[in-house]
Amino acid sequence: MRELACVSGVELLMDYLEGVLSPDVRADVDSHVAGCPKCAAFVASYVETPRIFREATATVMPADLPTSLLAFLRAQRRR
Amino acid sequence: MVVETAEPSDETLAARAAAGDDHAFETIVERYQGRVFRLACHLTSDADAPDVLQETFLQVYRRLSSFRGESRFGTWLYSIATNTSLMYRRARARRPAESLEELLPRFDANGVHLGAPDELLVASRVEELLDRQLLAEKARAAIMRLPDAYREAFVLRDLEEMPTADVAQALGVEPATVRQRVHRARLMLRGYLSTLAGVKP
Repeated sequence: MRELACVSGVELLMDYLEGVLSPDVRADVDSHVAGCPKCAAFVASYVETPRIFREATATVMPADLPTSLLAFLRAQRRR
Repeated sequence: MVVETAEPSDETLAARAAAGDDHAFETIVERYQGRVFRLACHLTSDADAPDVLQETFLQVYRRLSSFRGESRFGTWLYSIATNTSLMYRRARARRPAESLEELLPRFDANGVHLGAPDELLVASRVEELLDRQLLAEKARAAIMRLPDAYREAFVLRDLEEMPTADVAQALGVEPATVRQRVHRARLMLRGYLSTLAGVKP
């Protein structure tokens, strides 16, 4: 088995998580991360990043917007 | 007795709306307005989002008859919302592109992570370390700093949680391109969280 460096593993991380790596490359990543506490920490923070941004930026429509949107679209359709 | 409880599918509603059923069209609007508004906030600004919302559904209405079912209706609608957002964004004065390279992970000459495991993990702990309101402001500002192509891919894939294949369809690029852009965006945003916590990426 080839020895993977952290930097190469990081470049493969998205493809790894999306399940598009070939089984042998995937196994290389698995075995590197299993023996590398730095990569284990990096992967954990990488995986958490989208969730943190999703929750921190969650936004809801102003309550009056649906009504004005409908009024706008009805007026446009009557044209 | 069979009671029909299932909501009509998007595609069914789209066909009815294209045939002139206004109620079907308004059901589509109701179903998607919250998501389109959120997308518009992420891709433009809170100030522009209501206009983007109106323009998106106007375009959807006008183009209903051209929806051929080659993609899911939601994907088709998201591509209109994305393109409308980008039109608004391009109409605004652009800030000069900032370098976000310093947010990328750092390695030594052997390709080994710089920084201790604790430091590498810290991005995942910002919610404990930062005030919620501050984190919300910083997170939105960071997304706006991303290069346009990265931001579009990240917003659709990671904030809207669309499958990569659908994001590729909505943006008109290959899935591999989406993965590459989302990856770069995640690396930069992860680095940004690390710096918020006072640690180098």
